[in-house]
Amino acid sequence: MDSTFNYLARRLLWVPAILFFVTFVAFALARFGPGDPVRVAAGNFRDPEAFERIREERGLDDPIHIQYYTYMKGVVTRLDFGDTFRYRDFSVNEVLFPAMWRSMQYNTVALAITVGVGIPLGIFAARRQGTWMDPASISSFLVLQSIPALVMVPFALLFFSLKLGILPASGWPRDCNVVVPGLPPGYECIGVISTEAIIPVLALSLPGIAIWGRFTRAFTVDVMKEDYVRTARSKGLSEYQVMKRHVLRNALLPLSTVIAFSLIGLIEGSFFVETLTGVPGAGRLTFESIGGRDYDMIMAVVIIGSTLYLLTSVAIDILYTIIDPRIRIGARNN
Amino acid sequence: MTSNPRGFLFSIIFIGVAAFMMACGGDDSGGGGNDPLNPNGGSGSNPGAGVDADLRLVGGDPITLDPALAGDEGSATYIVELFGGLVTIDRNLQIVPDLAEAMPQVTTNADGTQTYTFKIRRDALFHDGRPVTAEDVRYSLNRTAKLGQTTSATAEAYLGDIVGARDVTRGRADEVSGLKVVDNSTISITIDSPKAYFLAKLTYPTAFVVDKQQVEANPRNWTRKPNGTGPFKMVEWRLNERIILEANNRYHLGAPTVGRVLFLLAGGSVLTQYENDELDVAGISTLDIERVQSTRDPLNAEYKTGPNLSVSYIGFNTKTPPFDDPKVRQAFAMSIDRDQIARVVLKNMAPVANGIMMPGLPGYNAQSKALAFDPARAKQLLAESKYGSATGLGTVTITEIGGGANAGVATQAILEMWRNNLGVEVSIAQTEAASFFDDLDRGRLQMFDIGWIMDYPDPEDIIDLLFHSTSRQNNTGYSNPQVDSLVTQARTEQDQTKRFQLYQQAEQMIIQDAPWIPLFFGRDHYVVKPNVKGYEPLPIVLPRLRYITVE
Repeated sequence: MDSTFNYLARRLLWVPAILFFVTFVAFALARFGPGDPVRVAAGNFRDPEAFERIREERGLDDPIHIQYYTYMKGVVTRLDFGDTFRYRDFSVNEVLFPAMWRSMQYNTVALAITVGVGIPLGIFAARRQGTWMDPASISSFLVLQSIPALVMVPFALLFFSLKLGILPASGWPRDCNVVVPGLPPGYECIGVISTEAIIPVLALSLPGIAIWGRFTRAFTVDVMKEDYVRTARSKGLSEYQVMKRHVLRNALLPLSTVIAFSLIGLIEGSFFVETLTGVPGAGRLTFESIGGRDYDMIMAVVIIGSTLYLLTSVAIDILYTIIDPRIRIGARNN
Repeated sequence: MTSNPRGFLFSIIFIGVAAFMMACGGDDSGGGGNDPLNPNGGSGSNPGAGVDADLRLVGGDPITLDPALAGDEGSATYIVELFGGLVTIDRNLQIVPDLAEAMPQVTTNADGTQTYTFKIRRDALFHDGRPVTAEDVRYSLNRTAKLGQTTSATAEAYLGDIVGARDVTRGRADEVSGLKVVDNSTISITIDSPKAYFLAKLTYPTAFVVDKQQVEANPRNWTRKPNGTGPFKMVEWRLNERIILEANNRYHLGAPTVGRVLFLLAGGSVLTQYENDELDVAGISTLDIERVQSTRDPLNAEYKTGPNLSVSYIGFNTKTPPFDDPKVRQAFAMSIDRDQIARVVLKNMAPVANGIMMPGLPGYNAQSKALAFDPARAKQLLAESKYGSATGLGTVTITEIGGGANAGVATQAILEMWRNNLGVEVSIAQTEAASFFDDLDRGRLQMFDIGWIMDYPDPEDIIDLLFHSTSRQNNTGYSNPQVDSLVTQARTEQDQTKRFQLYQQAEQMIIQDAPWIPLFFGRDHYVVKPNVKGYEPLPIVLPRLRYITVE
């Protein structure tokens, strides 16, 4: 266990170093690139001297390492991600986190659907390997994957909202149906539980089913070829027992890596679906903040995203050593 | 294997992220106990409390609701309903009193300054019932000037004419000396010279009145539920979701005829929502205009259109080749057939500009003529210019704001006309807004395609602001001493007719010199539900909601 411990310790120590590198590059790129948030927010109105006064006030004229230090200090000590030029009456935290929460609601339900349909689909196809149902089942979902959101959403709106009149045309309920008391304002609405959420969630979930189906099918087929599966069958276990106890468990191990990294995407939000349906999520916000050079907002997204990614990556490594003793022991013997 | 470490891990990550976000995201967003509108504390919004509104509109989150800081149309749309100033604009674009009892007494002083004395209405109240006093006006204007030193981009532009205002915005003084509280309900404002457009500038949010008690008690969060003087009160602002305004029945200019107005901020497909009866008003874009204008479409009955005070134009950088020669600019201007573009490409959505100033703007000259479409003369002018021919111009690029997929439809047509009528191959560059403005400011663009929206209904806001050689808004580098002298004279010309004539003369010179090719005047296109009365397209942002009735 020693060498694994050392290995994991080393990996964890790298995390702050990588984070520093990633955040500093993002910080510097944003600020050295053309344009700045003060100028963009003013639009056609132009007063260079007034802009200069504002830049000084916001510290935008300080040397880059001082700006970086000031910003990161706020993040690390107070979890304060700064101020935004687009929503001047609010802080980045107040704007971004509720948006991420809303995106997360939609993405979680969408992921559950994608995984909930995709994995059984893949197992179904793996078991029917050799018959026509194997390729047919997955290919039918490929159709959904090939239709881009830009096409799917307007059609869904036209059909379900205008023609049939059974679904609303907005993506987020204006009147919240499910309110969790006690959560801070901006978070208390579980907007995904509403008829408004149906079209966006479908647009988010349907394309991914085929991919998950294929992963699952591939992993399952691999496992089914193993000796211990044949042994289990020859022992007399029912097919259901074989699948449950041996095949699925081992197929889910590589799948768990995919699932874990998908979790990071939960807070990101899809720009297209959100803009077309009108969901006030993080995808739209991130896109707009790049165009508006909203430095602090961009940094918040970069920091949160990269931190989650790195930590998940390390977590998966830890997970693997726990789940699979061969990795643990193998490391020592080498 | 015993427990399920995978499931455990997922739950940890999921819960961890959610908890993390809520822990550091939930700031104090309510007014707390100090908020006069909500003495029991809390943010005052109950999301499950049923959003019943009389009028449902779509909008964007304002950049800010602080009148001292707002410089954009989006924020102004809300601010003019929640707040007010000494004067405002009515729907006929006339300047009328708001918080003031009557139009001010104007006296010209011996030292050349001019003093406006306003008497404040007795029945002008803040939303919490407190009467508005002269001190409130002085405080607000002073506060705005001080913010000009640090965070307000507009303070100096709109208040700079007041004596002493620039001293405050530049940090040399703490109080604007030109503001004097004469008595509890009388305030006098002294400006540095008899500027005829000063009252028009006072109609813009930068000069609006805020509640000193609220601002000082809650400097970070007061704008979320402002205690203004306007025809509407803020019920709630759920960021990115919705804003709900409610009628202020004690409004001194007359209570609004609509009770509650809902602005949906989450976006989506606006026209679809309108057709699905989720919205009462929807704007129409070029994508839908044909459909809405066709008499066979049911939406046609609900279609409304009206001019707005804006103009789109092609601007030239007059300081760098090849557009430093006016003959080249004139040649380019005269080789475009704007009528054809308006008819064919824009489907008559926007009228062709006959000058710089647009119809509806006081001072508009209906007789003005822009440079005519004359390809033969255009080629002649190009030959007469110092570059001699199309090849002599070198590479010519026009830049516009865009995503890079397609040039604007009108621009494509214009490029085609330059190729055919002038023999010049112009290439087009599209950049996003931030880079565009950066390049524009640094004088790196040869030609650009952009527009100008009026801030207040006075020709100074366009002829002076954009074409005076030392003006900060002058984005073409245009410098004509005759134009300079005409507009400088017009600043203090007291006779309205003479004043407009000066601007019109300047306009003719500008048209001839062609630092701009004025293209089209703006028009708004909407569909409005038949049970909504009083919603008319308006030329400029002004308080309009109180005239609307929903049956």
